[in-house]
Amino acid sequence: MSVEKVGPLIPGVLDAPFWDAWQRDETFLLHCCKTCGRYDWPASCCVEHGREPMEWLPASGAGVIDTFTIFYRAYIEELVAEVPYTVAVVRLDEGPYFHTRIVDIPPDQVKSGMRVRVRKSRGDNFPLFVPE
Amino acid sequence: MTRGGIAIVGMGVTQQGRSLGVTEVELRRQALELALLDAGLGRDAIDGYILASHEREDLRYLGLSPNFSWPVQTGGATAPCTFIMAAGAILSGQAEMVACAYGMAPSSGGMPGFGSAKTSFGALGYGYPAQVGMIGAASAHALHARWHMDHYGTTSRHLGAVAVQLRDHAVKRPDAITYGQPITLEDHQASSMVVDPFRMLDCCRDTDGGAVFLITSAERARTMPGVRPVYLLGAGMGHNIGNWHHRDVYRFHDDIAPAAARAFAQAGVSINDIDTAQFYDPFTISIIMQLEHYGFCKPGQGGDFVQDGGIALGGQIPSNTGGGQISGFYAAGFTPIIEAMKQLRGESGATQVHNARLALVSGHGLNGGIQNTWSHGTLILGAEE
Repeated sequence: MSVEKVGPLIPGVLDAPFWDAWQRDETFLLHCCKTCGRYDWPASCCVEHGREPMEWLPASGAGVIDTFTIFYRAYIEELVAEVPYTVAVVRLDEGPYFHTRIVDIPPDQVKSGMRVRVRKSRGDNFPLFVPE
Repeated sequence: MTRGGIAIVGMGVTQQGRSLGVTEVELRRQALELALLDAGLGRDAIDGYILASHEREDLRYLGLSPNFSWPVQTGGATAPCTFIMAAGAILSGQAEMVACAYGMAPSSGGMPGFGSAKTSFGALGYGYPAQVGMIGAASAHALHARWHMDHYGTTSRHLGAVAVQLRDHAVKRPDAITYGQPITLEDHQASSMVVDPFRMLDCCRDTDGGAVFLITSAERARTMPGVRPVYLLGAGMGHNIGNWHHRDVYRFHDDIAPAAARAFAQAGVSINDIDTAQFYDPFTISIIMQLEHYGFCKPGQGGDFVQDGGIALGGQIPSNTGGGQISGFYAAGFTPIIEAMKQLRGESGATQVHNARLALVSGHGLNGGIQNTWSHGTLILGAEE
C-alpha cells in the first residue's frame, strides 16, 4: 500500500454540529436521546425512541481505552512523522465508542483500561486523546 | 432448505495470484466459461446474474442475457450473500440458473476507486477514522485481536500457530500462492510488525482472480448429466450492529450467532456433523475467534485449540485446508466457498478430508466507516447423499 494523502476532514452533514462545536471552541458533543438519556456517536437514531428526541449535548470528552492498535507503517502522508502511532477505541464515560489517536504517550506504554481524555488547546482538527 | 432444495452445479475458478495483469471483467469471463463447462451448460441457460461488487459492463462483455443482474456488496460476507440471493431468486420463481460471479484484480491495481489520492480512502469507506491514521482492514481486526489478548491471554504465538497451520496446508496445494514454501513459528515471530499485534505473517495478501458458481434447483440438477452437485443446505447472516448498540463489539467477530443458528437450523445438523470448516481468514485472529463463536471450542481457547492441532487434517475440525486467504489466495468470500466445494467434490488433493460430506463456510467483513467487523454469512454445504 502506497503512502497517500488523506486530505482535510469532510464532515458528514448529519454530524456537522459535532465538528462545528469542536472547530469553534473545542467543545466535545455527543448525540443524546432526550427521552432516555442514551448517548451515541456519530449522529444516530435512538434504538428505542427514534430520531425526534436526539440532540447534540456537551459531553465529558473522557473515557477508557477499550482496545487499540499500533501502526508501525505509514499509510497516510500526514502521519509519516508520527509512526509508530497508537489508534484506540475509547469507551466514553457516556457510553459510546470513539475511534481516535492516543498522543503524548509512547505507544508501548498504552494499555487497555487506561483512562484518557480529549486533548485541548493544541489546534487539533480531529479530537485526539491523551492519558488523564 | 434440504438437500432437495438448492444445488450448486457449476464452479469455475481462474488462476489466482499476484499481479496477473488480467482485467476484472475478463477474470469473470474466464471463470464463467469454466463454470459453464463444469455444468455442461451454454450461456443461454443463465437467467439470473449476481455480482459481488458493482456491475456495469459485465452482461455485454460476458455475452449473457439474463432477466436480472444484481450487484451486492456486504464486504467479505458478500460471497455467501450471493448464494442466499440466488436461492431466493430460484425459490421465488425468478430464475432457474443463477450465476454468482466474482473477479477482482487488486494486485494489478484494478480495485475500483483505489489508486487515486482523491478517491482511495473515501472509496474504501474508511470514514472518520482515516483522519487519525486508521487505514486498512488489518487495523480493524487488530482491535479485535488486542481485545482478545487483553481478555483471554491470547498471545502472538497463538496467532503464529494459526499462520503456521494454514501454511502447512498451503505448502501441499499447488493452487495456493505459498505452495512449497513452509514457515515456522520462529519465522512468524521474526516477521515485521505491521499493525500491532499483527506481524506480516498474520496478514493475507491481495491476489487477482475470478470465480463463478452456477446455482439452480436440486430438481433441475438431477436432470443434468455428468454434474456433481453440491447442495446448499442452510444459510444465515448476522450483523454486529446489534452488539454495537449494546456497546460490546470487540468481543465478537461480526455477529456469528444469528448467522450460525439460522444456517444450522435450516440444514438440520449440528457442528458435530461438520466434516470441514472453511473460514474467512484475512488475519490470524479470525480463525481463533470464529472457532470460538461457532462453538468448536470455548471462548478464549481458540489459540490453544489451533496450537493443539484442532484445525489440522485429522484434528477435531480440519479447517481452511487450502491455506485459507492467508496462505492460499484471496478471492474475498469466495476463497472459503471454493475450498468447501473442492472438499465436497473430493478435489482437495493432498489436504483432502476423508469422506467430507458436510462443510461449514463463513464470510465476514465490511470493516469500513467507524471501524469494526460488521457483516457475517454462514453457509452449510453438503455433498450428494
